Amino acid sequence: MLTIRLNLLNCIWAIMMKDGICEFRTRYAVSALFMFALISLASISMSIGAASLPADLTAALLWVLLFFCAMAGLSRVFVQEEESGTIIALQIYGPGQAVLFGKLLFNTLMLLTLTVLIIPLFIIFLNVEIYHWSIFMVVLILGDIGIAAASTITAAMVAKTQGKNALFTVLTFPILLPQFLSSISATTKILINVKPDISDILFMVSYDVVLMIASSILFDYLWYD
Amino acid sequence: MYRDISVKFVDVSKSIGTRVLFTGINLVVNAGQRLVITGPNGSGKSTLLKIIAGLDQATTGAIQIISNNKQLDAEERRACLGLISPEIILYGDLTSYENILFFTRMRGIECNQQRIEEYCQRAGLANDKEQLVRTYSTGMRQRLKFALMLAIQPVLWLLDEPSSNLDADGKKLIVQMISRGIEQNAAIIIATNEPWEAKHADYKIELA
Repeated sequence: MLTIRLNLLNCIWAIMMKDGICEFRTRYAVSALFMFALISLASISMSIGAASLPADLTAALLWVLLFFCAMAGLSRVFVQEEESGTIIALQIYGPGQAVLFGKLLFNTLMLLTLTVLIIPLFIIFLNVEIYHWSIFMVVLILGDIGIAAASTITAAMVAKTQGKNALFTVLTFPILLPQFLSSISATTKILINVKPDISDILFMVSYDVVLMIASSILFDYLWYD
Repeated sequence: MYRDISVKFVDVSKSIGTRVLFTGINLVVNAGQRLVITGPNGSGKSTLLKIIAGLDQATTGAIQIISNNKQLDAEERRACLGLISPEIILYGDLTSYENILFFTRMRGIECNQQRIEEYCQRAGLANDKEQLVRTYSTGMRQRLKFALMLAIQPVLWLLDEPSSNLDADGKKLIVQMISRGIEQNAAIIIATNEPWEAKHADYKIELA
């Protein structure tokens, strides 16, 4: 049993590393995500000038930005495999659960990297002051995990369809909406110097866990049937 | 892990729309035996291999993979086989060394650098193992699939037009590999139209 679990972890790590090496050599997704974020932030900053936005609007902007960055690049984990034809080799040689969680780990790390790059720009361009940094980090990490989990399973579902880009966003948004609203609510509180309730954080943790369990159950049907 | 493999075809048929590709295939291929599937283009050879691999479904009937008297489920079925097919595409942004390392890890096989180099050498890729696969010719990519097969050592080999794009040396390599596979008690199923590949078959299926 322990050997099987170690093997699964080894496979998850191998898939994450493989996607990381391929991404490092091509930089398609990272470039798309970062350029989208940079252009969006610069456009908003130029249009509002020196004025500062209300906290709720600023929080919504941050999460809308992260959401659409995810929509611009995170579907690649499965769509690229499908378009390049490598998905069949992966289906033959890769255990389903390892593929799902390896891709999920890669998407989470990519979104977290993007978040680390965006946040300083967000603070500078939108003239934002962050209170409660540690809680803010927790909210960002949980929100990113949620976006990555929803994006990964949706990408697996739409990879074989036509019109996959439009379908990807349309399907991901409703799945992510409860998590999205919680993230915006918690971020708004942080921006007005109020600590978010523990229930907000617990909801985000629960939602991420439920999303991953549901993805795990659904993925075997997508992978083997 | 998987021993005494056998592939049991139970009244297998496949139709696409109104077109019947094949029907009523009943056969058992055991470990150490070779089945050759022949037929013109579009007759369903590759489709039959995909059904065996669990990548497609038969319209009626079933193909059971049995190991140690136990029928394997979908995950176990894939874990016991290796597939060489024009539809198998390896990662162009990885080197052949990285491709083999990745796929062997997927199968839980520990493969060190020396062994991977040995497999690359046997497949005739010794000088190109550090090149990205996207720079390879189609023949070299086919050789890489064979190197991967050597590394994985599956108990069920599915070979779809294995000699396509290979030169005379590559074709010799296939003959050697298939013979070695039979010696190692693997069940080998080959879809081909090459008469020399169809030689020594224990069973033949001719699709119309």
